[in-house]
Amino acid sequence: MSLSTSLSIAVQSLNAASGSLQATNNNIANANTPGYTREVPILEETAPVNEGTFSAGSGVELKGYQSIRDELLQTQIQQETQAQSGANAQLASLQQIQPTFTTSTQDIGTEMSALFSSLSSLSTNPGSSTSRQAVLTAGQNLATAFNTASNTLTSQQTGLNTQVSQDVSQINQLTQQIAALNPQIAELTGSGQDGGTLQDQQDQLVLQLSALTSVSVTKGDDGVTLATGNGTPLVVGSQSFTLQTTTGSDGMTHVLDQNGTDITKSLSSGDLGGTIQTRDTTIPGLLSQLDTLANQFGTAMNAAQAMGYDQNGSAGQNLFTIPATAAGSAASIKMATSDPTLIAASSDGTAGSNGNLANLSAVQTTALPAGQSPGNAYASLVYQVGSLTSNANAESTATTASLAQLNNQLSSASGVSIDEESANLITYQQAYEAAARVVTTIQSMFAVTMSMGTAAAE
Amino acid sequence: MRVANMLPDIQYQMQQSQQALATATEQVSTGLRVNQLSDDPAASANMVRSLAYSANVDQYTSNVSSLLPQLQTADSAISSIVTSLNSAVTLGTSGASSAILTGNKQAIASQVQSVLSSVIAQANASYQGVYVFGGSDSTTPPFVPASTTYTSSQGSPASPLATTTALTAGSVTTISDATTGETMTYKAVAGDTIATLQTAIASAVSAGTLSAGTSATINANGQLSIGTNSAAAGIAVSSNDAVLGTMTAAAGTEVTNAYAYVGNSDVNTVQVGDSMNVATNLPGNQLLTSGPNVIGALTNLITSLQTGSTAQIGTATTAVFSGLTYVGQQRVPLDNTISQLNSQDSYLGQEKVTLTTQQTALVGINLADAATNLSQAQLDNSAVLAAAAKVLPQTLLDYLK
Repeated sequence: MSLSTSLSIAVQSLNAASGSLQATNNNIANANTPGYTREVPILEETAPVNEGTFSAGSGVELKGYQSIRDELLQTQIQQETQAQSGANAQLASLQQIQPTFTTSTQDIGTEMSALFSSLSSLSTNPGSSTSRQAVLTAGQNLATAFNTASNTLTSQQTGLNTQVSQDVSQINQLTQQIAALNPQIAELTGSGQDGGTLQDQQDQLVLQLSALTSVSVTKGDDGVTLATGNGTPLVVGSQSFTLQTTTGSDGMTHVLDQNGTDITKSLSSGDLGGTIQTRDTTIPGLLSQLDTLANQFGTAMNAAQAMGYDQNGSAGQNLFTIPATAAGSAASIKMATSDPTLIAASSDGTAGSNGNLANLSAVQTTALPAGQSPGNAYASLVYQVGSLTSNANAESTATTASLAQLNNQLSSASGVSIDEESANLITYQQAYEAAARVVTTIQSMFAVTMSMGTAAAE
Repeated sequence: MRVANMLPDIQYQMQQSQQALATATEQVSTGLRVNQLSDDPAASANMVRSLAYSANVDQYTSNVSSLLPQLQTADSAISSIVTSLNSAVTLGTSGASSAILTGNKQAIASQVQSVLSSVIAQANASYQGVYVFGGSDSTTPPFVPASTTYTSSQGSPASPLATTTALTAGSVTTISDATTGETMTYKAVAGDTIATLQTAIASAVSAGTLSAGTSATINANGQLSIGTNSAAAGIAVSSNDAVLGTMTAAAGTEVTNAYAYVGNSDVNTVQVGDSMNVATNLPGNQLLTSGPNVIGALTNLITSLQTGSTAQIGTATTAVFSGLTYVGQQRVPLDNTISQLNSQDSYLGQEKVTLTTQQTALVGINLADAATNLSQAQLDNSAVLAAAAKVLPQTLLDYLK
């Protein structure tokens, strides 16, 4: 083997060491970059050189760099991110709704108790104008509590429309960016190279998209193909499909696919899915129960009023004004009168009778048509709000823990260890120094060889 | 397992321990285990029910506090009436003696008149504006001096009322008779006229509700006049019919020592417990007129002492004694109610304590537990932070210098 061959091997070795050092350098540089996947240099022995009866190794070659990925883990992280974002979206809304139903001086339960207390107090002196006014005030406070609770739910629902629009806008931006990366990655992988940094960027964008909505991810020759949970395409090759929003007849923001088809109901998970779930299912469910309670409570009180006589001896008129049907009752319930004399305390038309107050008070313990007494119906509503919030919180906590575990696993495979890279740094540094020493040695040998001729001539 | 970077794991653990620390701090500062519905939905719902019941207990307690003085006022009044009637019986007994002189009988009659005035005063007892013996009509004195004639404010010579004059449907006219101690209540229906009222009065007379001779006529001024034909039989009349206007006692027709009950017979009840209602009043007619007519008996005694024979005085005294016995019996349920209220007051006080304890168990936290939790959370947090501080800065590079 000639000195030239040895020198060539040493130069290859220098290149391999410096190339490996570059991978280590890049890993260290991106140690804290979100979505970065560590790279390892791919070193291969070069083909041996046959010289006569023996063959000799011809050195090392840097074939390229390989990102260490685990696609299964990435898929699991995407799915868990969808679940976490969906739970977080629901939790955020419910945490804002929760205080309205928490016991305070003005919640429905407290105001309902105050109304029945005022009726009981009136029974001790049915002619007292002060006590009668107290009943009207308590009734108005209860109506206001219903109105406030309903408005809180409705405002929350309306506010979520803005969130839907923002999410759709972000989804469109992300799908555009993902589609733009597809041809570049396809070109690299088509030539047998690793997607590298571009693949990292795309994976990170897909992860961000997963935080917004559920997506199915399919990898092919032309890059990644993305679709929503119901199959609506979002990215195919270099093309992205824009989602649109429109205000529906129900006043809510709806999501349309590229063909204008309403896909709102099919969107699940992610921030968008969680937001739509809260807006279209959770809040309407609570509103419906609240409306039913307000309507049936008002109807029961009015029926009890009608059984008695007011202070003027006339048959009791409605105490509450409520719509004919339950829908919107909580928002619109109000006192039907501001005249204290119109409270039908009397059971026989005499001004001092309190006989009908028992009928009015009995509403507190009598089951409404929905099957529960007003107090129990409200307690059930409180339980439901608490339970929904608790469940969302538990799901958020569970998915956060699960996500942390998955990220740990992914980090174990793909993450950069500074300690490991530091060791690699020393390894490649030493390899480079050794190769350089070989070059120096060969250079000396060349010099000796050259000086052999010079010395003979002299 | 290859560990690339411990930071995310440590950040997660720090987040967890800080969350636990925040929860423990909140529990210590509020004394509550449940600070929001989601902390314990079932406990929150039970708390709503418990607070509603607690509000009821508070109101029951308040009702007891309101009723007790009112019933005690009634009880005290009945006690005074009993004392007065005892005095009247004593006076009557002495007046019935054949040895007593006529002049002395007159003096005794005067004393019995004072007794009657005292009884009427007690029967018109009130507590904070509520006449305790007025039935549910408790805003005016229930016992009023009776007169022989009442006339309507409506009707005049130019525009006289007539028997054909229609009455207002739903209007109520009442005639309280001092002698019978009873009240006729007439509620007009559509198509009724003054003639219908006249017929109703005649029927009440036949039934003994009103004294014989009581009738309604149109007087010379065109007004409706309701009266008796006896100078000793008194009535009190009221009406809310605009057609008749206000019924007023005719001047100079007041009957001495005669009082009519113008309250009603209604007994109001008030809830002082989940399954406990108590009567809040004893109607004056039940106490003094519709059983033995105590007022009438006293009036008779006075009359007997003034003009009657010894036998008549004795009979009248016996009637007063019967009234005394009856009034004493009426006091028993009232005393029972007062006793019940006192017991209920104690029970409600205990119930309130029980409820508070239950509510603390539902959403509260034992202070020692809270402090222990806080201490544990502080310790955990310190440990996580200390571990993070120790581990995070350490790399291989530290040893390559």
